[in-house]
Amino acid sequence: MNIIVLMKQVPEIEKVRFDYEKGRLDRSSAGAVTNPFDLNALEAAVQIKERAGGSVTAISMGPMQAIEMLRDALARGADKAILLSDERFAGADTLATAYTLATAIKKLGAFDLVICGEKTVDGDTAQVGPEVAEFLGIPHAAYVEEIREINAKWIVVKARMEQSDYILKLSLPALITVTKDINVPRLPTLRDKLKAMRAPITIWTYDDLSQVADQKYFGFEGSPTRVIKVFTPVTGGRRGQMISGSPEEIAAKIVHILRENKILG
Amino acid sequence: MPLHNNALLDVAEEIERIVGERWVITQRDFIESYLKDETPEPIRPKPADNLILVKPSSTSEVSLILKIANEMKIPVFPVGGRTGLVGGSIPTKPGIILSLERMNKIEVDRENLMAVAEAGATLGDLIKAAEDAGLFFPPHPGDEGAQIGGLIATNAGGARAIKYGVIRNYVRGLEVVLPTGDILSLGGKLLKNNTGYDLMQIIIGSEGTLCVITKAVIRLFPKSKYMVTLIIPFNSRSDAMRTVPQILRSGVIPLAIEYVQLKEIMKAAEHLNDNWPVQKGFAQLIIILDGVSQEEVLLACEELSKICESNNAIDIMIAEAPEEQNRILRIRSNIYTALKPDMIDILDVTVPPNSLEKLMDEVDAIAAKYGVYLPTYGHAGDGNLHVHIMKEGMKDMDMADAIKNEIYSAAVKLGGVITGEHGIGKLRFKNLSLVLSEKHMEIMRGIKRVFDPNNILNPREILF
Repeated sequence: MNIIVLMKQVPEIEKVRFDYEKGRLDRSSAGAVTNPFDLNALEAAVQIKERAGGSVTAISMGPMQAIEMLRDALARGADKAILLSDERFAGADTLATAYTLATAIKKLGAFDLVICGEKTVDGDTAQVGPEVAEFLGIPHAAYVEEIREINAKWIVVKARMEQSDYILKLSLPALITVTKDINVPRLPTLRDKLKAMRAPITIWTYDDLSQVADQKYFGFEGSPTRVIKVFTPVTGGRRGQMISGSPEEIAAKIVHILRENKILG
Repeated sequence: MPLHNNALLDVAEEIERIVGERWVITQRDFIESYLKDETPEPIRPKPADNLILVKPSSTSEVSLILKIANEMKIPVFPVGGRTGLVGGSIPTKPGIILSLERMNKIEVDRENLMAVAEAGATLGDLIKAAEDAGLFFPPHPGDEGAQIGGLIATNAGGARAIKYGVIRNYVRGLEVVLPTGDILSLGGKLLKNNTGYDLMQIIIGSEGTLCVITKAVIRLFPKSKYMVTLIIPFNSRSDAMRTVPQILRSGVIPLAIEYVQLKEIMKAAEHLNDNWPVQKGFAQLIIILDGVSQEEVLLACEELSKICESNNAIDIMIAEAPEEQNRILRIRSNIYTALKPDMIDILDVTVPPNSLEKLMDEVDAIAAKYGVYLPTYGHAGDGNLHVHIMKEGMKDMDMADAIKNEIYSAAVKLGGVITGEHGIGKLRFKNLSLVLSEKHMEIMRGIKRVFDPNNILNPREILF
């Protein structure tokens, strides 16, 4: 079984600051880590490989520093890693990103299953996985919590959507996006980590993909999304205050405060 | 003479004039959470009935409060985050509970790699302030709700003490208030200071019995550019324990070497509704390493792996992502909370590091003799063992006491002490004579009298 895992390096979301003036994340304010859901995707792939044999290929699109993440993926059980890195891929929205990733998958040849995390914690759109499936013309299931059955022909998954669980059977090749509930990613062994430090990472640039794709769909040019303004609502936090007086006075003051803040009509 | 409630209420009025009405709390319901700490319930000392809670906002307010208390000989119990395990901050006599929680400012001096922190700032605040300034406060004495004043008053230890030591090693200066109201400034942003008797070192670890700590100068370190946590499972305890001194001799200096057993660490993970990432072996070492680059740290890991493998390590797993490392530390820090409901007491005996395995054997023999479960884990690199005396199989408190005494004796026989980090508090007096001579006690009492002649600060009979 040939499995492809799509991964992304994201800023450490607990530490990253938001640049309010420029309306975007200040990526220099935090270190880069693997998108946590992608570790679940990789773990799911490695578990399938352990049962059914085959190979796991990790693919990422991003700057050269993402090599570090792909080496970690190798330590965690991926057999091969490919980084799509080129300035001409930059500025891509979800559509151009999905197109680029799908192009790379096509270039790789035959595959059985693509696994992605349900979303990335920096973009939070959850669009790239399903869009890749559309570009590849294969069925997909999002928010998969459990893989119930998999064989050479199909996969049966349990996916959570809103309040409902869906049991879905997809013929292969297919794409699934997984949630954090699907598994607990294992830690790599030190031996695999050290081995991965010396392992080669394949880098594909624009030129490697341009022969099998339409160039105008890459990067900024291929992105119909235009971000006009980004803002984060500033929350006020808790504003405790002491109220004193007789019970009647206190009650009246509380009602007044609730009305003033439009909590009571 | 027990303090009469009316007298205390008179004092409360006087103190209200200093700190404001809002910051003197006399209603018992609102004081409740200040009457206990993290000490297991079966051995937790009972708080007194007549108590008021005072929350000053400045050193000068603390000074005025202590002056009044001293003149009227009213006991004062300084409290921090109440995370202690030996009842140290529990107000056992009628008097004043003094919480410095409003004094929580932290200033980081990047040039000198120092933080000036008020006593009421929490460990979590300090870790964050250091991090925001691109610096690092290495030790991690468990609960991040602990306050700076308490950490210093108890000379807290915890994990990550191997490389840079316990809290004492970080404190460079203190501002304290004596019972007379005098404000003393000791040390400073200095790395060397040989000017007279080092009173600061006597105050560190004095458990609120000599003075009230209001501010501290704390040494910080450059942030490690790269940190990893290794989890190394072994089939036997002796394999794991034999590895520790070999690591310490190897030239690689980890931040922490923790010893845990799979049974207890799995329980801690379950308690947090999480999974322990390495479910292999009987015993495991958790090793935290840091350095300036990934290459440097991984090279050190390689060195350690040779030692671990030669001692039959089953595997060596590595956590690199901050989220994974934090998760491991969080689960490790929660063994105590997971075991607490079934626990009578937690001990923190400490022996020379190479005697730790012998101590564990002794604890096993004691468990077998009494037919009880005594889960142990510890800061293996520091020779510091936590033994839990559990309710399971325990006939009565006398039996628990007998077990505790045997463990203490075993530690002392190996050249150790009865407490390595939790302190004496209000629970370990009876056993002090095992380690401290009468002469030693006499000098301690003398020091107490010089600082606190009226015995108002966290009063304990044995120290006066």
